[in-house]
Amino acid sequence: MGFDAQAARALDTSSSRGAHYADIRFEIVRSERIEVRNGVVASLSDSTSRGYGIRALFEGAWGFAASSDSSDAGLDRTAARAVEIARAGAALMRTRFGEPPPRAYVDTFATPMHRDPDDVSLDERVKLLLEAEAALHAGSAVRVGRAWLDLWHTDKFFYSTIGSNIAQSIRQTGSGIQAMAVGDGDAQTRTFPGDIGLYKSGGWEIVEQAALVDNAQRIGEEAIALLHAPQCPSGTTDIILGGSQVSLQIHESCGHPAELDRVMGWEANFSGVSFLGVDRLNSLKYGSDIVTIQIDNTLPEGMATLAYDDEGTKSGVSDIVRDGVLVGYEMSNDTARVIGRTSNGCVRAESWEFVPMIRMCNLNLLPGDLPFERLFDDVKDGIYMESNRSWSIDDHRLNFQFGCEISWEVKNGKRGRMLKNPTYAGVTPAFWNSCDAVADADSWVAWGTPNCGKGEPIQTGRTAQCAAPARFRNVEVGVGYRG
Amino acid sequence: MDKAHREELAGRVLAFSGADQTEALVSSSKSELTRFTHNAIHQNVAQSDISLSVRAIIGGRTGVARTNVLDEAALKACVDRAIALAKLAPVDPQQPALPAVARAPQTPPGAYETSTEQATPQRRAGMCEAMFAVADAGGLWSAGYATTGASGITIANSNGTLASFDGTDAGVNIKMNAADSSGYAEAYRNDVAAIDAGAVATVSAKKARASAHPRAVEPGEWTVILEPAAFGELFAYLTGHFSAQSFDEGSSFLSDGLDKRYLGDNVTIRDDYGHPLAPGMPFDYEGQPTERLAIVENGVARSIVTDSYWAHKLQRENTGHAPPAPNAYGPHAVHLVVDPGSKPAAQLIAETERGLLISRFWYIRTVDQRQAIVTGMTRDGTFLIENGKIAGGVRNMRFNQSLLESLRHCEFSSELERTGNYDYSMVVPTAKIRAFTFSSGTDF
Repeated sequence: MGFDAQAARALDTSSSRGAHYADIRFEIVRSERIEVRNGVVASLSDSTSRGYGIRALFEGAWGFAASSDSSDAGLDRTAARAVEIARAGAALMRTRFGEPPPRAYVDTFATPMHRDPDDVSLDERVKLLLEAEAALHAGSAVRVGRAWLDLWHTDKFFYSTIGSNIAQSIRQTGSGIQAMAVGDGDAQTRTFPGDIGLYKSGGWEIVEQAALVDNAQRIGEEAIALLHAPQCPSGTTDIILGGSQVSLQIHESCGHPAELDRVMGWEANFSGVSFLGVDRLNSLKYGSDIVTIQIDNTLPEGMATLAYDDEGTKSGVSDIVRDGVLVGYEMSNDTARVIGRTSNGCVRAESWEFVPMIRMCNLNLLPGDLPFERLFDDVKDGIYMESNRSWSIDDHRLNFQFGCEISWEVKNGKRGRMLKNPTYAGVTPAFWNSCDAVADADSWVAWGTPNCGKGEPIQTGRTAQCAAPARFRNVEVGVGYRG
Repeated sequence: MDKAHREELAGRVLAFSGADQTEALVSSSKSELTRFTHNAIHQNVAQSDISLSVRAIIGGRTGVARTNVLDEAALKACVDRAIALAKLAPVDPQQPALPAVARAPQTPPGAYETSTEQATPQRRAGMCEAMFAVADAGGLWSAGYATTGASGITIANSNGTLASFDGTDAGVNIKMNAADSSGYAEAYRNDVAAIDAGAVATVSAKKARASAHPRAVEPGEWTVILEPAAFGELFAYLTGHFSAQSFDEGSSFLSDGLDKRYLGDNVTIRDDYGHPLAPGMPFDYEGQPTERLAIVENGVARSIVTDSYWAHKLQRENTGHAPPAPNAYGPHAVHLVVDPGSKPAAQLIAETERGLLISRFWYIRTVDQRQAIVTGMTRDGTFLIENGKIAGGVRNMRFNQSLLESLRHCEFSSELERTGNYDYSMVVPTAKIRAFTFSSGTDF
């Protein structure tokens, strides 16, 4: 299926109204959400949304209009609106913001899948979640059990006045379980896999990788055990973070500050600015020598993997941090022009109705060379933390405080007793410079984040931060709890 | 899509369905936002959509399907899909009947304003221009937005419920930036004509200038005065505690029971869709009339909010706080109002020997659910108060604080203001809180 005729009409209208460049992105978005809660299917829904968004560039100012009305009149009206909006902005223009893509592509892409979720009956999907959720109830203290599944299928069709015609069919899948135990005035939660479930691009094989049923009882038992576990102490110590927590650390303290629109102040009133100023490019020692963080929007199973971004830029691989030094940004055509580079294809919109903007995509901490269990060897006195529970970082992306669901003390290289309410805090460059070990590729996982918020109107992005567990020295822990 | 067309569409959808019970939710939305940075417009968008959500219930089994394709075949397909999903779902023995509401409550005055729905890109550009003029005059650069939007909701079900609502919203927010400081101000109203963008910008600019050359102060316990934007952002983290679901499941601070004192005796929290600063939808997403109720009265918990499911499960009254189906997260209070105190905000400052005045918070997250401990950062205008007067800007700090403790040691201003962001809107006073705990600072 394509939209060649509708696209031609809308782009012609945009041009005839004065747009110097225009593109149109049609999307058909199908999503399914199933959630089981305490033995009941609390959510069973299926949604289809289709529409298009038009970007028009007039004298360096962008206008964007989106509609679900794909009649000829609707296309004409929406294209004219996009140009009218661009003209309203151009009238107050002081700085040229807009930059059209440098070249056109004609291509197709489809997410590779081993098993199409459409081949798995709804009955089978629901049964899996019911079984996993039931197993979470390892004791009466488990007051809430949850098991969920998300399936997304997005067909995108991108056309531009410079000749792009790109069709992409994207499949993204995620599932997870969570137990909440309540007792003695306390409530403790455990989630699996990671802190939000396992989310990747791909088909039903992603749900099978999550192994929900196999892990559910353990997760329920851990939630109960946390009610009676001692409090994580306060002080300065060495920490080892599980892979999903390293993923979140990358997301918040590298992915967001490396968005070039944020660096330039384009998000200043909401998401904030960034400490990674252009004057620090190629000089800031962001992390230790073993820290290399790379964009790879072609990575198999990466949540954000596709062939072209929503400006029609081809996906590729580029570095943000190489051997500890800041060397790049997530960029759009608009922002890359300002620093004399070309876009590295990091522009996405939540769906057809949203304007494309710079988004974190697949941003990966390259693995080290130690097996996971060897990370503990050199820790005399420390804490191992898993699964995020709380995350907060300032609007420059420097001062952060994260909490995890569960932790264990580490004594003389061995994992010891369980501790509850672990938190740690720091300042971004000092923290990443304290990283002295990253586990090897055997524990490297493409952790997906399906709920990244940015922009106004706010958009939800789906990103990935591939990561393995890592070790950090002399970190402040136990913040947020008195005594 | 106007009310008549939405109601006609909903009626047609119900006629297609052979389910025991069917609910049709028709939503139309138009949202436009002009965003700026460095005193120029860099993002300028218009979005519009009309969608249908169908909930089918068959013998205690529920399925929901949604579409925004509204031709006859697609409408029928949406109904068929909801029924197919319902037939495959397990039976939920707690599933109650959908509400049967013969007559929907009246929309409060001022909820819909034509001037807002018809606002053009040029009108928003004019609001931006007024803000840029203030920035230019002060040698500052500004970042923010001007937005206007309209939404229409119709809910109909096979038990005879039919309820429709049309509303509008407009807002500006602006961060003014100086060399080493910033300020923030905002205004939200249903009527775009009630917003003076230049005046909002003037407040933001004043804060940016007054917080220049910020000094570091020691973390620890401080008396803080939270302006409405800051207090609202903090208070939003209590909202989930008022839900019947969290109450029953044990994750709410109210789970120890109602009619107990949890907060200071000067704290009264209401849910009121009719407040003149934020008039809103008088029924919930099941068409059930929303009760205007006191959740906490003089510090004592009086009520939780319910929907049909939780009212039935807990054998309580349905207060009309259902989000759209399906919803695994329970009922939600969306029109929160905190009652004012007796003194103007200026007097709260004047009576403070040493404290901090906070314009805005950022990235608040729950650290401990049951104790309602949250962490977050100050941003965009944090000031030292000495001997009742503003004594200059201070560098931003991180706090870790129990909201319950805060609301046991607080005073409120006599003025109320509407505040909000993408996921909440509420009406709150300025709040003065004693022993607010900061754990670390920043260099900016």
